[in-house]
Amino acid sequence: MKTYKIIFRSIALTLSLIVICLVCSTAQNQNEPKEKMNTSIQISFHKNSELSKMIAVKITAKTKDNKREPAQNAHVNFYAQNNVGQKNIGTCITNNEGKAEMVLSKDLPIDTGMSYHIVAKIENDEMYNNSDEEIHFKEANISVKLNATDTNRIVTATVMALGNDGKEKPVKDIAVKFYIKRMFGIMPAAEDNVLNTDENGIAAFNYPKEIPGGSTGSIIVIAKIEDNEVFGTVEANSEVKWGNVIASEKNPFPRALWEPYAPPSLILVFVILFGGVWSTYLYIFYNMFKIKKDKGLEQRELEEMIKQ
Amino acid sequence: MENSNISYELEAVREDCLRPTHKWGLVTKIWLGCLFAVAAWGLFAFIFQLRHGLGSTAMRNYVSWGLYISTFVFFIGISHSGTLVSAILRITKQEWRRPITRSAELLTFVSLLFGGIMPIIDLGRPDRLLNLVIYGRVQSPLLWDVISICTYFTGSTVFLFLPMIPDMALCRDRLIICDTKFKKFRKWLYTFLALGWTGTKNQWHILEKVMTVMTIVIIPVAVSVHTVVSYIFAMTLRPGWDSTVFGPYFVAGALYSGSAGVILGMAFFRKAYHLEKYITPRHFDLMGRIVLALTLIYAYLNLNEYWIPAYKMATHEGFLLKDLFFGSYSGVFWTLQFGSVLLPIIIMANPKGRQILPLSITCIIIVIGAWIKRYIIVVPTLLHPYMPIQEVPADWSSYFPNWVEWSVTMGCLSGIFIVITLFSKLFPMMAVWEVEEGVEIEHDRKAILEIKNKREAEKRLRTEASVN
Repeated sequence: MKTYKIIFRSIALTLSLIVICLVCSTAQNQNEPKEKMNTSIQISFHKNSELSKMIAVKITAKTKDNKREPAQNAHVNFYAQNNVGQKNIGTCITNNEGKAEMVLSKDLPIDTGMSYHIVAKIENDEMYNNSDEEIHFKEANISVKLNATDTNRIVTATVMALGNDGKEKPVKDIAVKFYIKRMFGIMPAAEDNVLNTDENGIAAFNYPKEIPGGSTGSIIVIAKIEDNEVFGTVEANSEVKWGNVIASEKNPFPRALWEPYAPPSLILVFVILFGGVWSTYLYIFYNMFKIKKDKGLEQRELEEMIKQ
Repeated sequence: MENSNISYELEAVREDCLRPTHKWGLVTKIWLGCLFAVAAWGLFAFIFQLRHGLGSTAMRNYVSWGLYISTFVFFIGISHSGTLVSAILRITKQEWRRPITRSAELLTFVSLLFGGIMPIIDLGRPDRLLNLVIYGRVQSPLLWDVISICTYFTGSTVFLFLPMIPDMALCRDRLIICDTKFKKFRKWLYTFLALGWTGTKNQWHILEKVMTVMTIVIIPVAVSVHTVVSYIFAMTLRPGWDSTVFGPYFVAGALYSGSAGVILGMAFFRKAYHLEKYITPRHFDLMGRIVLALTLIYAYLNLNEYWIPAYKMATHEGFLLKDLFFGSYSGVFWTLQFGSVLLPIIIMANPKGRQILPLSITCIIIVIGAWIKRYIIVVPTLLHPYMPIQEVPADWSSYFPNWVEWSVTMGCLSGIFIVITLFSKLFPMMAVWEVEEGVEIEHDRKAILEIKNKREAEKRLRTEASVN
């Protein structure tokens, strides 16, 4: 009887410990009641190759222990402001990185001096305190032209912007960067890929030779104004067959463990092992069929009698 | 007189084995109702997960194998019970195995069925499952796993079915005298599964032959399955998984938890279906000895698995081991080591601990412990990658299953119980012909012993007479 008691007590103690451990680890993961956090907003303007205008915000929140972390799921209201007043142009929710983007419509209200004035605000959010940030920018256009002579290949980027009179004018002394589009991103076209525009708004860049262009030799050249105080980020591209043609290998993948095609020895072992087992199964199925067919002499006689 | 005695005994075996298949009591109905309710809730959670994606679970970039894969490994482990109890004991001609083989084989079948479902649930997009076959790479342990599980499942189904053939014929033939529900369906089912069994000499010969073949084949297949499951982890370059002992470690863990599962099945069916006459305390004692031996092997491998890397404390392994030994998982880790390994050894080493009740409670602890152990193998390693976790939301660096995962997993668990319950209400939970055979062997043994005793007595009398 005593042994039973000891066993039961030990078991009860173990089970209690397991429950306590599980409860503790659950409790660790329970979110504490959250207080609203202060945030800081970074705002930027982008105009991509397809000429669509975009406002991007990156918001960071200050945690209790004074650490900065991305403000997730923050509701950000965007307002366009001009001399008439402020107009709500949309709302975005930040992602896991605290980022949100909004495409601007073409009829965005314009301010005096042909510039735009956008305000991003966090207002009455459940998780974050109110805060705002604004940006002023002018719209610039960039175009890319590609010219080739016998010896040189020139990439010409022309930057134009609307003047106070509403007419397009070249923009002088603005830094333009040249890139080549690769499969997973963009690559600087040369070590020194930054050129300033002249009085005609033109930056001409000598395209370097010997850049691989895949099986077709096709290259996408990008000209970009990056994080400019007045114009934000503006980008344009053009496709041309200036790349070195790389012929695809006939058999790029040898048979190996780390390649798409398995070594024959592995396939052989695999087939022998599983083939052996499955052949045995087939043998069993065949014998099950034999059991079904074998009804015994008496049964056969009985069936024949019934037939007669 | 003796013949009528044995006929009476055999009839009693048949009656005892088939009785539970005819009765649907209120308790069974309530039990099934509860199970179906949990399964329905699990199905709802799974549909919710399908609709909202894996983002609706607590799994994120780092912990992409959470409760589902832990449960998968656990279920595959439990499935080793059938092989051990049925195949190994059959091949070693252990007579006492007869009343418990069916429940062990059934446990293998259902745990494999639901174990195989768990990775599909974990896929998030089960509609892409076919891609595994279309684009699967022979080099990938994932493909090995799929194929070996399918192979083991097919083998286990056949292994469960083969000894059922004569029983199906018995059910079919006795249906006329039974008052039971779904008679038409039962008649069709039993006739279909009996494969036209009439018990001819040739049929018995074929059955014995194929059962011997299956008994031999299923053992290496079962061992290969859990070895391959371990390869999924061991062939990944991660702290805690990069181990050469993982294959035998997983197999030993599977056998230890699977045998404990069998004991629980034995205890349940013994009590619920009044099989006390057949599943005796001796069975529990013998199974307890087996589980004890397996726990000792498992403990030995467990020591190797943690002691050797802990001695070296290599940088990344060290981070993981420190977390397990002293960190956030230390409570669970040490509870498992002492509670589900050391404590069962102490209990089962004592003959009183191998009695039905203490052994059953010990097995409950072992089974629950085995489940948590799988979780401890899977999750902490994923939270200690070689590349540091940085610039990601804070909650990605921790994991605890949420309601969706618990609901789906509990749904699968109740699915296992539903299949077992329905099976036991349709088919006998003991192999009738095997138990009958056991009764006959026992009867013959007694008869031979009696004759032997008689002869010895006569011999003694003759010797005494000659001396006098």
